[in-house]
Amino acid sequence: MIRYALTRFALLLLGLLVASVLIFVTLRVLPGDVASVIAGVGSTPAQQDAIRERLGLDRPLPAQYLEWIGGLFRGDLGTSLLTGSRVVDQLAQKAEVTVPLGVLSLLIAVVISVPLGVLSAMRRGRAEGTALSVGAQALAAVPVVWAGMMLVVVFAVWLGWLPAQGFPRAGWDDPAAALRALILPALTIGIVEGAMLLRFVRSATLQAVGQDFVRTAAAKGLTRDQALIRHGLPVVGLSVITVLGLQVAGIIVGAVVIEQLFSLPGIGRMLVADVAARDLPMVQGELLALTGFVLVVGFVVDLVHRGIDPRQREAT
Amino acid sequence: MLRRTSLVAASLLVAGGLALTACSGGGAQPTPTAVGEPDPDASVAIRLVLEPGNLDIRETAGSALDQILVDNIYQGLVARTPEQDIVPALASDWTVSPDGLTYTFTVREGVTFHDGQQLTPQDVVWSLTTRRDTPEWRDSARLANVSTIEADGQDVILTLSDPDSTLLWNLTGRAGIVLKEGDTVDYQTGANGTGPFVLADWRQGDSITFTRNEAYWGDPSGAAEVVFDYIPDNQAALNAALAGEIDVLTGFDANLREQVEANGDFAMVLGQSTDKGTLAFNQTDGSPLEDKRVRQAIRQAIDHDAIVEALAAGQTQYGPIPELDPGYEDLSDVAPYDPEAARALLEEAGADDLELTLTIPNFYPTTIPQILVSDLDEVGITLEVESVDFTTWLTDVYTNQDYDLSFVLHTEARDFENWANPDYYFTYDNPEVQELYAQSLAATDEAEAADLLQDAARIVAEDHAADWLYNGASVIAVGTNITGMPSINVNERLDVAEIAKSNG
Repeated sequence: MIRYALTRFALLLLGLLVASVLIFVTLRVLPGDVASVIAGVGSTPAQQDAIRERLGLDRPLPAQYLEWIGGLFRGDLGTSLLTGSRVVDQLAQKAEVTVPLGVLSLLIAVVISVPLGVLSAMRRGRAEGTALSVGAQALAAVPVVWAGMMLVVVFAVWLGWLPAQGFPRAGWDDPAAALRALILPALTIGIVEGAMLLRFVRSATLQAVGQDFVRTAAAKGLTRDQALIRHGLPVVGLSVITVLGLQVAGIIVGAVVIEQLFSLPGIGRMLVADVAARDLPMVQGELLALTGFVLVVGFVVDLVHRGIDPRQREAT
Repeated sequence: MLRRTSLVAASLLVAGGLALTACSGGGAQPTPTAVGEPDPDASVAIRLVLEPGNLDIRETAGSALDQILVDNIYQGLVARTPEQDIVPALASDWTVSPDGLTYTFTVREGVTFHDGQQLTPQDVVWSLTTRRDTPEWRDSARLANVSTIEADGQDVILTLSDPDSTLLWNLTGRAGIVLKEGDTVDYQTGANGTGPFVLADWRQGDSITFTRNEAYWGDPSGAAEVVFDYIPDNQAALNAALAGEIDVLTGFDANLREQVEANGDFAMVLGQSTDKGTLAFNQTDGSPLEDKRVRQAIRQAIDHDAIVEALAAGQTQYGPIPELDPGYEDLSDVAPYDPEAARALLEEAGADDLELTLTIPNFYPTTIPQILVSDLDEVGITLEVESVDFTTWLTDVYTNQDYDLSFVLHTEARDFENWANPDYYFTYDNPEVQELYAQSLAATDEAEAADLLQDAARIVAEDHAADWLYNGASVIAVGTNITGMPSINVNERLDVAEIAKSNG
């Protein structure tokens, strides 16, 4: 187990390194730079050059990369070219919105998908099972933006229960207000992701039904449902954990869209603005943080999976 | 996607049985009159579209900075009203010598910066001199004519090498901003000015908050706090307004009038603006647009009335100067809508089956390119639309001048100078226009300066140096409990000192 964890950790580091090179290189392919944004319409090429030089954008790319990676080992992701603020500070500030949003979305997705997915599998062939399955199929196809807009129209504009956009300026100093601001965005992501997850839970459950050990249990006198719940669901749970790890990436993508729609000052919205402004140190830091997060989640999921599932341990 | 969403949202609203109020007329209207008593402790939330990247008014470009910081936080010797008149600010008055070479400003006494430091005439001298001598600072070239800047007691005297009819106007903008000499404020994230508001909070990517400057030298602001909420999407802004989270929407879409006015809490106001929807033609050597007939054909192929109608606000503009600026003249006779004539011109120029690319920043609505594609297709020009982000536009179009057609909304007031600058991305080079502009600058009489601009503008229009698709309107939706919201040219400058909110 320890050897496995170490190997897996080395892979994680390698993944991060590859990601950092990819992020750095692909961003340099984009046309335009932050100097032109600062200088703007009405500037002369000489003014732009002066700003470029001041910001160090005229230095060779390998030198810029090494400096970035060097800083990374000291926990320093650099500073924004546009605002001069530290990338780490900005990430920490915006994470106060994005992390709770992601966790809440994931919770909603799980709460929706696990019971309904199992139910849909157990009621397969019956009306309610079909309805759940078809409903999930339809919901999973709904664009996140549209779902969000509908929720806003109903719960914010018509009923006035929840805010339509924004995050309280006091932030988490006023937890109730902060939470209220996140409910609609989290529901939006949670419902759409949950619908996708539901289909997965359903097929995993159906697969479990067909497994030998469930059939054996049923043969020993349990009803089919009892056998499934007692012996099948732990297996389903394992594969759901794996899929949840993958789902994190989907939730991050959802957050980028949803933070725009709901004007939430999170990492997703910051990322979009920084890409538009070509504030590359910011974008690099944000992308690396997000990639790192997804990789770490994958790492943890793998370890957990291996820790729980006896079959995997025997396999190696 | 956006279109579909707003349609669905709109139909839902209608289905909800909300009464729709009738449209009121266009033009510059006063903002709605509130019924209740103004509340001096009120906080007013204003939706803006474009957030500044940083707050450094010295160096960073973009009207997003001028819009909120000039007048409210920073001030110059003189200021401009929404109606574009020049009025005293940090100077209580001024005189101009008859030869137009000496400007004497009397600096107000008892003015303090937000951090409590006194404003001295030396601060004015330092600010203007540094601005002029620092090329990296925005608009430094606007003070190039000023040879000396000196203080004499409470007076500040500017001596010019040549008369400059635009100097006072330029002093109302960035070029004239007065900063504290030797100030240590971090201008990227902070501010220290003399205006009626103090910068209280900037949540990057979200909002900027101003609070009343209790030590202000002039009339105190109407609201205790003004929050600028940056919400780029119109539909999201509308939802926020309808949910009661926003008091004023700027940069709004006039097509959403019925929805925002539906419950009677908001009224839409259309004010004039100097926004010029400019379709630039790259007319450098070798481009098909080098031929004046091709440029004229494109202009005559475009149905400008249809564009204004689609935007539901603004008016047509057929020359480089909008109605709010000096030198304006109705130039609609120069290129009237006439697809037949356009086809003939193209044939004459031998430009059959012309294929052109339109480079347009992606934050503009798709309405404009759609109309252009179909209008030009009508006369046999195939238009390919390349939607790019603004940074790419800045590099490709603005800096490298690598484009056929480009669309950008030029919001700046009195920016005719770009047509007299052959290096500008418009690629328009006419010595006669440059000469007329130089004469206008050197004129010591305002009316004479305006006449010369008018002559120059007609030549630019007759050369079909570009097409002006429309002169935009300031589209704002104002809560019925709000008074004092300016309605003219608010995309460029938004003075919020007089805005007040009543609790009624």
